[in-house]
Amino acid sequence: MSIKNDVILRLENITKEFPGVLALDRVSLEVKQGEVHVLLGENGAGKSTLMKILCGVYKKDGGKIFIDNKEVTINGVKDAEKLGIGIIHQEFNLLPFRDIAQNIYLGKEPRKNLKLVDVIDRSVMYKKCRELLDSLEININEYALVKDLGVAQKQMVEIAKALSSEVKILIMDEPTATLTKNEIDKLFNIILQLKAKGVSIIYISHRLEEIKIIGDRVTVLRDGKYIGTVEVCDTSTDELVKMMVGRKIENLYTRTYNKIGKEALRVEGLTLNKRIRDVSFKIHEGEIVGFYGLVGAGRTEVAKTVFGEYKPDKGSIYVFGRKLSKLTPTEAVKNKIGLLPEDRKEEGLNIKMSVKQNIVQASLKKVFPSGILKEELELEISKKYIKELNIATPDAHKIVKNLSGGNQQKVVLAKWLLTESDIIIFDEPTRGIDVGAKAEIYEIMDELAKKGRAIMMISSDIKEIMGLTDRIYVMYQGKIVAEFDHQNYNQEKIISFAIGKGEKHG
Amino acid sequence: MVNLINSKNKFKKVPGILFGLLAVVCIFSITTPYFFTLNNFINILEQASILVIASFAMTLTILLGKIDMSIGSIMSLTGVVTGLMIHNGMPVWISVFLGVVAGALLGMFNGYLISYQGFDFWIVTFSSMGIIQSLALVITNGATVPGFGNDFRFLGDGSLFGLPVIVLIASGITILLVFLTLRTTFGSNVYSVGGSEQISKYAGINTEAIVFKTYILSGILAGIAGIVLASKVNSASPIAGSGYEFDAIAATLIGGTPFEGGRGGIVGTLIGALIIAILMNGLNLYGFTPPIQFTLIGFIIVLIIIIDVLNEKYKAKKWGK
Repeated sequence: MSIKNDVILRLENITKEFPGVLALDRVSLEVKQGEVHVLLGENGAGKSTLMKILCGVYKKDGGKIFIDNKEVTINGVKDAEKLGIGIIHQEFNLLPFRDIAQNIYLGKEPRKNLKLVDVIDRSVMYKKCRELLDSLEININEYALVKDLGVAQKQMVEIAKALSSEVKILIMDEPTATLTKNEIDKLFNIILQLKAKGVSIIYISHRLEEIKIIGDRVTVLRDGKYIGTVEVCDTSTDELVKMMVGRKIENLYTRTYNKIGKEALRVEGLTLNKRIRDVSFKIHEGEIVGFYGLVGAGRTEVAKTVFGEYKPDKGSIYVFGRKLSKLTPTEAVKNKIGLLPEDRKEEGLNIKMSVKQNIVQASLKKVFPSGILKEELELEISKKYIKELNIATPDAHKIVKNLSGGNQQKVVLAKWLLTESDIIIFDEPTRGIDVGAKAEIYEIMDELAKKGRAIMMISSDIKEIMGLTDRIYVMYQGKIVAEFDHQNYNQEKIISFAIGKGEKHG
Repeated sequence: MVNLINSKNKFKKVPGILFGLLAVVCIFSITTPYFFTLNNFINILEQASILVIASFAMTLTILLGKIDMSIGSIMSLTGVVTGLMIHNGMPVWISVFLGVVAGALLGMFNGYLISYQGFDFWIVTFSSMGIIQSLALVITNGATVPGFGNDFRFLGDGSLFGLPVIVLIASGITILLVFLTLRTTFGSNVYSVGGSEQISKYAGINTEAIVFKTYILSGILAGIAGIVLASKVNSASPIAGSGYEFDAIAATLIGGTPFEGGRGGIVGTLIGALIIAILMNGLNLYGFTPPIQFTLIGFIIVLIIIIDVLNEKYKAKKWGK
């Protein structure tokens, strides 16, 4: 078929410089009509920057863009839209207090022909919106407010928004990061439909398994440079990883199983609202204990209750055999419990503060008993952890907002190491983190267990959780439904318990 | 997937604070004999009109997720500017027009610094609040501009078709602004900038222009409020408007437009301003002196906000289960 081989988009030697960083260094990319072209690379490789240039959010410093073999200039979002380029951003770009139609047609509302002011033609807008949602088989009311939608529904609305104008090229930036298996299947179906219509898709993802399923070709970027383009069908995952990180990662999961020490954390009969029901478990020194389950199974709630953020209706928590009388985060920190929350940017870090300020944040009393801050001491401590955890930052003064996800996670970890936490809770520690940094975080976790820390790990990545933990508790609808020792790990069994299909565990 | 039902959402569009308004009306109607009369209602509307206009000026900037602390000062300055021009022999309508233009220019000053220069809106409008207030004092030497002729007084004290002109002006502005905020792309963009400037930018909206224009509009509305106020009290004091910014914030918040911006709107603020006016009127009928009125109103506002917060919490809890 000749259609399939038409190059619809060509980027030539695109260069973009931010103050002090060459984000893109003469990057080229060719996308054919009707293909799913995967853009692969670690965080900071320049994928998002390249896409933001293509959709008019950033201006390029050099290079050329061709669409249908004609050179084009893109000076703003409107230009890109006119050229048929649509984008689904990594973070949701929806206004929570506006309805679906208002969000979908934001900035391009159908208008009535009035001279003086632009009046929105509401009847046309809602009618068009309904038709669009129907065509994508999205069963959501167009008058519903975005804040009332679930994550998957929001993602569907994002897709509808991108498709609301005539698109030839659709950019999807990590569209599956927040979706469940079922929803991902639905998304893939939509992608196939679009492909059939001749729409080209530029697909950014970290998930290598997905690329195998949905991708046609892969272009790899590393450190702002073009590494290569390969066909998905004749490239192995290992090769892709190698292209991405520039070295071969021998063993992603490092785990030395240690001798288990004494009991560090015991939870008995924990019940919270209807979100956690009668949950009991133990974690020992030197042990990494996994909590597996679907989104909404209650794992994060367990973590946050142990950390004292949620008040349980029933149940008790014992730290080294001593029952905690008060359950508050202050008390948890005093009892040497640390939490690396799922939402790093909102809950784990003070995103506008520097690396050093974040590291000492939970230990101010310990580090500065007099109550007076000393910057040299702060610096000295931070430098130690920057070195120990290999945090990639030019110095300790850097604002954490500007660090990559992996390095942000390490800063959160440094905070809990400084408090000398005995019990560390990792909630989805590697979400949104690239492969290289993932391996490092696994290594650090293993190291911590070796030193006798008790680690609770929540993860939705079955490979990761099986590769790293001593034991796994499987949660389903707020209950622990199964427990596995690492000698008895069985992927199918664990998953079937997590989706509520497992037989009663004897 | 949950199919969100249509009717639920339409019901939600009725601002909850409407019940607060009804409650206040009921209480005063039952407990005081003079409250529930047509004359008193017209009286309340007349008293509320200036606050309504000033509160709209505030609401537009709060919808943007920002604020305009200089509204009271703009009212004072436009009042004295118009007053001085009239006393210097300028035709009334030109003076009024130039007064409104002065409001627009002051709004433009705020808007330019905030949108195109990227300065913090608190710092800009707090500074301009002081600067504009001082300007009003300087050009009047601190003295009040005294009484006017009947043609100017028509605005604030006259009546047309049996209704106070001031009420007609406020009603006209209300209708225009409801249309502007809910039916035009400009209004939609104000909400979306308030919801998130970045999302708006990504949608190709010229966010700077929206912020700039909104502050100009806020200045114009404050200007109108200031001129009408001067006409109503038949003098232009250089501090006539001071304090209005706080009542305007109260009316906006009571009306359901939170400081984060992006939701709420004109209708809610209208109700908020009416509640404040009714409270003042009712407490007056009870015979409370103004200082005690203000204290009680303060408490009632806190009470309304507490009820609102508890209501939200209750809803959130129900949602959680």
